[in-house]
Amino acid sequence: MAHVSVPMYWRTIPQRYKLIGYKCKKCGAVNFPPKGVCKQCQSSSEFEETHLSGRGKVHTFVLISAGGAPPEFAEQEKAGGQYPVAIVELEEGPKVIGQIADIDPKEVKIGMPVRTELRKIYTEEEVIRYGFKFVPA
Amino acid sequence: MMAVGISGYGIYIPRFRIKREEYAKAWGSFSAAGVTEKSVFGFDEDALTAAAKVTRRALESVPMEADMVTRFALATTSAPYLEKLLSGTVLVSVGIPNSAFTSDHTSSTRAGTEAMLAAFEHVMATQSGKAVVAAADAPKASMWDAVEHAFGAGAAAFVISSDNLIAELEGHFSYASEHFGERFKPKDDPLVRDLNVKKFAEGSVVRNTTSAGSALLKKLGRKPEDYQHVVIQQPDARVPVTVASRLKFTDAQLASSLVSKTLGDLGAASVPVALASALDAAKAGDRIMVISYGSGAGSDALSFKVVTDKKATVRVQADTERREYIDYVKYLKIKGAIQ
Repeated sequence: MAHVSVPMYWRTIPQRYKLIGYKCKKCGAVNFPPKGVCKQCQSSSEFEETHLSGRGKVHTFVLISAGGAPPEFAEQEKAGGQYPVAIVELEEGPKVIGQIADIDPKEVKIGMPVRTELRKIYTEEEVIRYGFKFVPA
Repeated sequence: MMAVGISGYGIYIPRFRIKREEYAKAWGSFSAAGVTEKSVFGFDEDALTAAAKVTRRALESVPMEADMVTRFALATTSAPYLEKLLSGTVLVSVGIPNSAFTSDHTSSTRAGTEAMLAAFEHVMATQSGKAVVAAADAPKASMWDAVEHAFGAGAAAFVISSDNLIAELEGHFSYASEHFGERFKPKDDPLVRDLNVKKFAEGSVVRNTTSAGSALLKKLGRKPEDYQHVVIQQPDARVPVTVASRLKFTDAQLASSLVSKTLGDLGAASVPVALASALDAAKAGDRIMVISYGSGAGSDALSFKVVTDKKATVRVQADTERREYIDYVKYLKIKGAIQ
């Protein structure tokens, strides 16, 4: 399993629990997750925090089946079967990757509206790592 | 005295269902009286993820921004950790201020109303206070134990304040006593046990619920027929009927809240989800009597008067009808019962 230490995971809580994005003070583009230099204008490193709505549309997706899941998600795949992972274009612009939960995988469609909610992502060192997944909006 | 009550509410029923026939096939019997099917959390859900969802839904129903909340109370008997603050996870996820006072209510199925009363005490003491109560539960026992058959999953949250009331709290009365052997977790095991001494346990249920309920009726100078809805703890679909008839409430008064028939035993979320179901059906002017029960044992009785026809966006019935049936093997897998 790709080891993510507890302090390293903790530092991502603003993104994983609350979708805090970073708006470039120069060009206004919203960066998520945080970047050292704005992904859009490539010239500013000054941002202000902005709370993203968590709403967006499926840009593209893939279904992960047995053998395809990273080790930390292998148990989830074994228990629940195939699961969808999508790139979602958020209302505010950024494209983010996440699982789609609460849906029959066969019903996921490009363009479908989704929103984030808190789910268990995986458990490591007996510490539950919570974070966002997308669900149908 | 200033009126306090429920200003908003939100519910969540997970999508998976298992039917009683699946248990009958696997074990030869199904021991949850009156329950035809029950709800099941997905592999990536627990009391905290469900609590976060209903807290957000309850705030949206008012609508109220999360940063207004000054008190947050969480109730569950299926905490994902035996020690660690649980409410913090939900508070951060929803955006409730870090300075809000939080409490975790976890030791019996009475926890839902225990958390509600804690929230009411807060807004009675601080008029500008805004409290949120979230009850989320999926009780867990050994698959070998008959007590497991009834256990479902669900959650409900209420915004408690003195503004924009949907239902006003008219009064409450609690009753606690000493009973044992019914629904408990020994100190080194997270699974629910029950010694299955049915008549003895029923005696405790009846004594605690009817003592709290009849004392509240007397305190308010009311009769059972003054109420359009009665909400009673639902360890199965028979116990609430027994308690209702002891208190001289009718099946018709119980009908709007009898969620256990299709959702099972929701533990600490049983009364909260059932109350949300009654609120969905209630009209302005209706009265709702609420009586919880937790083994060990104790009951809280609360009386509400519905003051508007305003409803939550997501109804209990709508979330109940959104379902996907699973077989017993998939149930064992997503419950983590196969090691």
